Amino acid sequence: MDVYLQTLLSGLAIGGVYALIALGFSITFTTTKTLNFAQGEFIAFGAFIGVTMLLLFSGLASTTTAVPSEAASAWRYPAAVIAAGAVAGLMGVLIFLLAVRPFAGKGGMNWVMSTLGFGVMLQSIGLAVWGPAPVMVPSPLGDDVLRIAGAGVRPQELLVLACAILIMVALDLVMRRSRIGKAMMAVAHSPQIASLMGINVGLVMIGAFALSSGLAGVAGVLIAPIASASLFMGIGFALKAFSAAIIGGLNNPRGCIYGGFILGVLESAVGLWQAQWREIVVFGLIILVLAFRPAGLFGQAAVDKV
Amino acid sequence: MMPNRTALKTALLGSALAMSSAAYAQEIKIGFNGDLSASPSAQSGQAGVLGIQAAIEDINAAGGVLGRKLTLVVRDDLSQPPKSIQNMSDLIDNEKVVAVLGPTNSGNALAWKHIPNQKKNPSIGCIGSATDITKPASANAENYMYRVSMVDRAQVAGLIAYTKNNPAIKNVGFLVETTGYGQGGLKDLQELAEAKGLKPVATEKFGVNDTDMTSQLNKMKSAGADAVLVWAQGTPIAQLVRSMEKINYFPVTLTSWAADNASFFDTAGKTLAEKPIFMRTITEDRTPKQQQLFDRLAPKMASKSAFSFAAHCYDALMITAAAIKQAGSTEGPKMREALDNLQAPVEGIMKTYNKPFSASEHEALTAADYRWTHWKDGKLVTYTDDVVKALKPADFTQ
Repeated sequence: MDVYLQTLLSGLAIGGVYALIALGFSITFTTTKTLNFAQGEFIAFGAFIGVTMLLLFSGLASTTTAVPSEAASAWRYPAAVIAAGAVAGLMGVLIFLLAVRPFAGKGGMNWVMSTLGFGVMLQSIGLAVWGPAPVMVPSPLGDDVLRIAGAGVRPQELLVLACAILIMVALDLVMRRSRIGKAMMAVAHSPQIASLMGINVGLVMIGAFALSSGLAGVAGVLIAPIASASLFMGIGFALKAFSAAIIGGLNNPRGCIYGGFILGVLESAVGLWQAQWREIVVFGLIILVLAFRPAGLFGQAAVDKV
Repeated sequence: MMPNRTALKTALLGSALAMSSAAYAQEIKIGFNGDLSASPSAQSGQAGVLGIQAAIEDINAAGGVLGRKLTLVVRDDLSQPPKSIQNMSDLIDNEKVVAVLGPTNSGNALAWKHIPNQKKNPSIGCIGSATDITKPASANAENYMYRVSMVDRAQVAGLIAYTKNNPAIKNVGFLVETTGYGQGGLKDLQELAEAKGLKPVATEKFGVNDTDMTSQLNKMKSAGADAVLVWAQGTPIAQLVRSMEKINYFPVTLTSWAADNASFFDTAGKTLAEKPIFMRTITEDRTPKQQQLFDRLAPKMASKSAFSFAAHCYDALMITAAAIKQAGSTEGPKMREALDNLQAPVEGIMKTYNKPFSASEHEALTAADYRWTHWKDGKLVTYTDDVVKALKPADFTQ
């Protein structure tokens, strides 16, 4: 029994991360019909912005491979999360203006290459500034294992899960209830018609990229105490998150979130059987989903009235 | 007039060549080829170069070899195999080095090990630990690949010997990462375990970037493993012990030496870092000779835990110099003969080498030279218990 609860908890913890990043993919896809393929680098970049902020706020020096645990106490960690989100959001505006807008809406796949290239540039800049070594980031809630009915989980994993759910609920409300959200959904439906209705389509698209990149930056700082910050950490998470988005349906933000959790729990469960088959099962599932439900498992549910 | 002119030219060219080779004959060039800047292991390469430079200073201060001074030619391979291959040709063909030390990454040595053999130019590895680096191309082929460092297979032999000789261990499980490093280790683990009649109750794998291995560990637990042999890099070993804490399952944990990385220590945290036991060539309980070299190099060394590579590379250079001296020549084939059959003992930092190599044995350091190590209060110290004390060199046979 413990074993299954442990599997579920571990899966939900990692699934929360996937869901958060998958949501970012969905936001840009629904509004601009493009994806930010540098999302992985934004996660890593965000994590290191977080590291820098923690050190800046606390005035403490870092060793080459770890941030001292006092640096994350009290208000500093939340402040670092917000700062990383803001910086990553600004970078998102930049990537939209430089690498997406010139190509968006035109035929061809130029934006795929240009966003990938932007990611490579971001990583190279990161390597020059922070170096290749991974840096361990302390959790603001400490590192002691919490026991839930015999299963162990670290406070940071629960924090990631809680933050992921909170952010997703908040975004869902904004998207469905507020004028901004309705504007975004209108642009997603048809940029031309939205434009005729007096919506500033360009601004909405910039906003979508800023939001999506900001989420990646926030995710970076949230994951860093679990996986340690590294400039190579993002690729794996971004690929899994993209898979989650495909499974759930890129068009449907809620579907992406479910996809993230499904993927996390599935991975964890396959590990109970044969861990080396994990990737095969995950990507096998994607091929099945694409074959039978090309819009994703929750793709149909995407019909929303605007 | 024409013939005379040609003759004059030839004479001039000939004398110029003779003069230049006379000038070069003053110095014996040794090469270093390895990563010095591009990957986390670059710190090991930097420490290695410091060790070689120290050894060259010592030899030159004592009058050099064959009355000639030694010099070092350093090439950074940026941890990329193609660059590393190119460096080998550059060092041997253009720089005319008599031997190459390094490389930092095992994969790069495996990528160019045919070059020293073809060009008959000895290569003495002092950092990378992959088992196959020093294997001859075929059973009776001339082998120019030597090593003064750890060897993966010898470490595995040590871990198996410990498991086999610990009466408290009833069931053992293997846990490895899915990279080439992990799979190579698994092959060694399986072969040596079988040779020693040890049968694992479970074999589990995990990804190098995984952050939660509770599923794999729960399988280990239900299979009844009271010891696990782990072959992985530093950070995943740290994630593994963190997952052990989650399900409160702490079998005897024997790991690859990657657990000596600072990134392992930082990720695992101070308390959990003390769980694994592994083998290493140097702990912080240094011998006087090691302490002396450590004090000499410490101001220049970026990472103190990379000191072992400085010591290995120091010794590799000393052994190379001894071979040149015995051969009375810097020709590759003569050096190889001398290396395979060194007469005079070589005073090194790790130990005094008595006939370190033979035609069939190209490893200067073997399991008997390794130290059992663990983290204690943030330091890498010698580990000992009754099992370690009772281990005999014969237990380490591969």
